[in-house]
Formats: sequence, C-alpha cells, structure tokens
Amino acid sequence: MNRRIVLALALATTALSSLPAMAQKSGGTLVQITQPEPPNLAPYISTSAPIGQVTAKVFDGLLEYGFDLKPKPSLAESFEVAPDGKAITFKLRKDVKFHDGKPFTSADVQFTIMEVLKKNHPRGIATFRDVTAVETPDAHTAILRLAIPAPYILKALSSYESPMLPKHVYGQGDIKTHANANTPIGSGPFKFGEWRRGEFVRLDKNPSYWRAGLPYLDRIVVRFIADASTRTAVLEKGEAHVAGLGAVPYNDAKKLALRPNIEVSTKGTEMISPIVELLFNTKQAPFDNPKVRQAISYAVDRKFVIENVWFGFGKPAMGIISSNFQPSGLFAPGIDFTVADRIERANKLLDEAGFPRKADGTRFEFTHDITPYGEEWQRFGETVQQNLAQIGVKATLRYEDLPKWLKRTYTDYDFAITSNFLFNLADPVLGVHRGVHSDRIRPGTVFVNGSRWSSPETDALMDKAAVETNDATRGKLYAEFVQRVSEASPVAYILEVQFPTVINKQFKNVIDTPLGIYGNFATVHRQ
Amino acid sequence: MKKFWSRFLGNPRVYLGLIWLGLLLLVAISANVLAPTDPFAIVGKPMAPPGGEFWLGTDSLGRNVLAGLIHGSRATILIAVLATLFAVAFGTLIGAIAGYYGGLIDNVLMRFTEFFQTIPSFLFAIVLIAILSPSALNLVVAIATVSWPPIARVVRGEVLTVKSREFVQAAVVAGQGDAAILLKQVLPNTLSPLIVTGSLLIATAILVESALSFLGLGAPNLMSWGFMIGAGRSFMREAWWLVTVPGIAILLTVLAINLVGEGLNDALNPRLADL
Repeated sequence: MNRRIVLALALATTALSSLPAMAQKSGGTLVQITQPEPPNLAPYISTSAPIGQVTAKVFDGLLEYGFDLKPKPSLAESFEVAPDGKAITFKLRKDVKFHDGKPFTSADVQFTIMEVLKKNHPRGIATFRDVTAVETPDAHTAILRLAIPAPYILKALSSYESPMLPKHVYGQGDIKTHANANTPIGSGPFKFGEWRRGEFVRLDKNPSYWRAGLPYLDRIVVRFIADASTRTAVLEKGEAHVAGLGAVPYNDAKKLALRPNIEVSTKGTEMISPIVELLFNTKQAPFDNPKVRQAISYAVDRKFVIENVWFGFGKPAMGIISSNFQPSGLFAPGIDFTVADRIERANKLLDEAGFPRKADGTRFEFTHDITPYGEEWQRFGETVQQNLAQIGVKATLRYEDLPKWLKRTYTDYDFAITSNFLFNLADPVLGVHRGVHSDRIRPGTVFVNGSRWSSPETDALMDKAAVETNDATRGKLYAEFVQRVSEASPVAYILEVQFPTVINKQFKNVIDTPLGIYGNFATVHRQ
Repeated sequence: MKKFWSRFLGNPRVYLGLIWLGLLLLVAISANVLAPTDPFAIVGKPMAPPGGEFWLGTDSLGRNVLAGLIHGSRATILIAVLATLFAVAFGTLIGAIAGYYGGLIDNVLMRFTEFFQTIPSFLFAIVLIAILSPSALNLVVAIATVSWPPIARVVRGEVLTVKSREFVQAAVVAGQGDAAILLKQVLPNTLSPLIVTGSLLIATAILVESALSFLGLGAPNLMSWGFMIGAGRSFMREAWWLVTVPGIAILLTVLAINLVGEGLNDALNPRLADL
C-alpha cells in the first residue's frame, strides 16, 4: 500500500509540475527598468544591449537553454544533428501562432535565418556563416544545411540571439527600415502594446501563447529612467521590480541587496560571460615579450579590483575561457596569476626579461588606455596604475571617447596596454576565438584580435574545436588551448563580471535562464 | 594709488578672501612637503570615514582624501590661473585691435567674438575636451577658448572710450605709432575693469574645470577637486566626505576670489562703490 501511495504521489507531482498554471498565481504587472532606452525594437538587425531586454519577451527562438547551456525545446520540439555534422533537422511545434493570428511554419525559419540573421544580424553573420541553405520539406520541418560542421549554432538559437520572425510581416519591404521595427510582432509570451518614447514600453499578455497557461503576468512595463540614483530609489521603494545589465550601479546593487524586499542575483550571465581584460600590443616593445606580459598579469590585484571597483560582482578570471563553461565541460584554467607570491614572481620575470630597476626604482613607462565605458573603468585603470608601480612599472592613463579608442585599439594598433571588455557569449567559437585567432587580426573590425598575437598551434586547436561535435573532445582541445594562451599571455584576463540583477522578492522565477534579463519571463509570477 | 590700497584693504571682506587665497597658495606650493606620497596611491582601507588614521578619510579605492585635497589645490589653481591668463591675453588682443581700429576690422573681430559667445560655454568646453582628449594642457586650452569673449568685449568698450580722449589725440599728433599708442596710452587706462573681470574669471575657470572633471573629462593623471567629486559622487549616501570635502574647498575658493574681485572693483571704481 505504501508503495502505491508513493507511486500515486509521484504521479500527482508529475501532473502538477506539468500543469504549472494551476500551482501559480496569474496576473500582475511587472515593472522592469532598462537603461538606456533602446534605439528601436529590431533585435534582428541590432545587438544594442537594451533592445533584447524588451524583444526577447515578444519573440521566440527555436530553442531555450538551461544554466548548463544545454538546449531545451521551444519553437523546435526536437532537433537532430546529422552524423557528419553538416545538417541539423528541427521538428517544429504545430500549434504556434504569431501575435497577428497567422501560424508559425518552417518558411518563417528559412526566411529568418537565410534572409535576415545571416545577412543583417551583427553576430548572426558569423554564427550562420556556414549555413548554405534552410530546407523546408514540410511546414513543420526545417533542415539547416552546413558547409562544415558548426555545432555552436545550437547555442545561438534563443529568442534573444536569433528571434524567429513572421515572414508574412518582415518579408514585406526593406528589413533594415521595416515598418515594424518599433512595433514588433512575434510569437512570444508577450505582445507589443505601446511605446511612449522617453517613458516606457508596455507589453501585454499573449492569451493564445502556445505554452498553455503561460505567461502568468498580465503585463510587463519596461520603464526608462535616465538618472541612476532615481532608478535605485524606484527599485528600493518597490515601484519597479527588475533591473539589470548596467541599469543599477554596482555599489547601489550591493546596497539594495541588504533590503528585505529585494534580492540581487548574479545568475543569468552564463551565456554572456563578460571578461575584463588588459590587452597588450604584442608587436611592440616591451610587451612583445611574454615574460613582461605575464609579469603585468601577476601584478594586477584581482581581488582588490573585484571588491572595490566591481563591488564584489565578479570573480578572478582563470584564463581565456570563462568558468561559466564548466558545466558544459569546455572550461579549463590557465596559469594562476592570483598566487600569494605574485609580486615576487612579477619582479623576477621583469628582471629576467631584461628590465632591471633603474636608480629611481622604475623599470619602464608606458601609456595605459582606459576603456571609455564609465567610471568603474577609470577606477580600474587607477588601480592597475598603482599595482604596476609596485613592480617598478610606471603607467600614464589616457581616456578618450569610444570612436577614438576603438580606432586606436582595432585599426591603428597605436597602444601599449588598453583595458578591454570582451564577452565569451554562448560558445567559445562565438566569443573566444575572435580574441586570439590569426584570421581575426583584421584592422578596422572591432572586438577581434587586437593584441595581434597568434600561433599556428592555437589556431589549429581552435579550428579543430570549432567543428568538433563531441563536448568531451572539445573540452580536451580547449584545455590545451587555454594553457598555451596563458603561457603567451597576449591578454591579461582579470575578472569575470557577474552582472547583478536587482529583483523585487514579490516576483519569482525572474532569472530562470542563462540569459537572465534577456529571458522571455513566461514563467515569472507573483508570490 | 594710495587711495586704492586704503580702499581695497579697508574692506573686511577682502581680508577674508585674501587670507583663504594666501593659505591655499601656501598649501599648493608646499604640497609635496605636506603630502609627500602620490595622491593616487592606495594607502588604506577603502571608504574609511574621517577622523581615523586619515583625517579626512579615504575614497572608494583607499586613497587619502587629505592628500587629494592638498595636491588637488595645486592642479585646480594652476589650471584656472593659466587658462585665465591665456583668455585675458587673447581677449585683450582681440578687444584692443577691434576697439582701436574700428570699422571693418572691428566688425569682423566682433562677429568672430559673437560666434564664440553664442555657443553655450560649458557645452563648448565639453565638445573641445571630447575632440582634444582629456589632459591638463587641453583643459587649459578648452577653458581659455570658452572664457575670452567677455574679456574682448570689456577691453573693446574701454578702448573705444579711451581712444577719443585728448591725451590719445595728443599722442597721435606727437607722431607715435599705433602699437605705441595702444600699449602705452590706451591699454594702461583699461586696466581696472580688466583686472576685475580677470579675477572673477579665475573663479569661473575653477568651476568649469571642476565640472569637466566631475563629468569624467578631467585630466586622468591629475588629482583635482573636481576629479575627487566626480569619483565620489556615486557614493554620496554611504561616504558623504568624498564630495563634501572637495566641494567645500571649491565653494570657499570661488567665494574668496569673488570677494577679492568685488573688493578690487570697489577700490578701482570708487564712483560705482558709492552708488
């Protein structure tokens, strides 16, 4: 009898969990703060950070992801990779309707990938580079044909990265200046309601969403508040409920975490994986010497930077690949630059490299360019300046505006060391390779290999890992790759930033994907 | 001249201003003695409140606020005074030529001046720094560039009144050249309004420099009061001293300069003072 009860209970729990709508309370309005106001609501042609925070709730992707970065079904019920890795077959849901009532079919997938993302999306151009065709044998099957295996595509199909567009809407007219760029129509849990410029975007519940019973919320209001302290105050008072990705300064987030009604989450950046780094100009003395570069990397006090510049929202970077890839087996640590005797090691390396201390205690001087992203970057530069003074290296800081800095770093290569902010994104192929691969040394292209370091060995490892479909084998390739990059240290990897998301405790399930605030909020509900 | 000194120093407000400015000058000159370490050096626990090991506390990176204040006085004063000198020199040149020659030259130079005057000066300074990139020299250039037009107008007005006086006409009759007349006869007589405007300009320059540094457009390797406020403004609620201390320093300095400037004005234009 006992056994029967257990079985019945188990069945009951399964039944309940498969019908989440009954267990949760529906209704309510969630106020999200996004900063700055997005320039448009066209995530298919722009990756500007605030856009996705709104549109990921309006559009669906073919897949969703768990915190382990493993794909979960969304518009695609299932997918299958051909044994040779050159085709991916998606079985699509049959019950999906766009907000205008028209059904979602494989033609929409073909149109979105081939006509829009592959041609116009800033990252899609690279992601879908090897997609030669999307075949549509029937209305609910889409086959991606690939020139070479591209397993990383399966990491880039979220509603944020690759939103599926209705062909009958976005197929009309020029996609770059489309009439619906500010009034998006998708199939997601929320429909676009209204955009009052300078104030808010209102998203309303999609009553005919294909996931029965979802979303729970009646409405999402995305507010735009220009002043940082007002944003913090509004969150503190509970007038707004969610804010992330730079909307709240790090030190304010630390303070808000102490309030009883507020939770600050550092989850939800697992598919973004931002890394703060120091980029060396490896074609110029003294940073053409790997020993000098390692010495600089040892000298930076990562723990101090994390505590006092990023207010605890980060952890020391262990190498070129973020530790967020640990669950998928692609992470491996490089040289540990945080060891206790790091200053002695740095001094020794500089002595060996032929830069002894001169009479005034200094070894050499250089100009340190600061990433023009705001004040934490200035504080970071000032901290590094003080850290380097300890090993006799004198840094002079330079702070320019973004276009000048980008040109100096990625076109003219007219720098010695610059701080930098690079995202690992959803897969090392998308976010990591660009930083050190020889074919990404492209003057004029930003956020690629600015150090101009590369080696045939690391190139080969990356090329192999890019087409390898087995995660364990990829992991081994990357472990060797990380070690080699770490030894050469063309970049000093300083910290992995964990963006804080401020959440009012009234609302549950806000951060339930590795995309955080770029999630679709379908399962967010009031307590 | 005797009358001037007695009028100037007989004003108690001038005394207050002079005392503060004198103190400031002393601190600026002996900054390296008073605070021998680099003001950017991380010397203690971040955000230590005033009154502990560090008299005025430490900032978000553990830098000594007192050392920042001392070295900041040097940067702040140097930039403001240099910018003012440049502005006065250029403004006087333009104003004097325009006023003395009149006619087409006057027209062209004054339209040129107005061109600069029509641009809101602070926004103009921001644009200049954005183009030139922040550094101590560029701050001086930017502040001077936005500050000279009022000087030019004041000098031109004075030159216009002075040049019609008999002694100038006498100099013309005596055969003196234009340059000699301008330098020896006209300009010395425009000095009093120039000194007053110039001294007040220093106060404005301090404010502009502080505002630029506050916005993060200050010289990145130079500790100034505006920089301290800019770096501290995010922590206003938990570390009030970071903005309050340099804020009070700026307030007192600008006030002192204004007091002295007004005192100069009263002493140089006694008729105005009596009104």
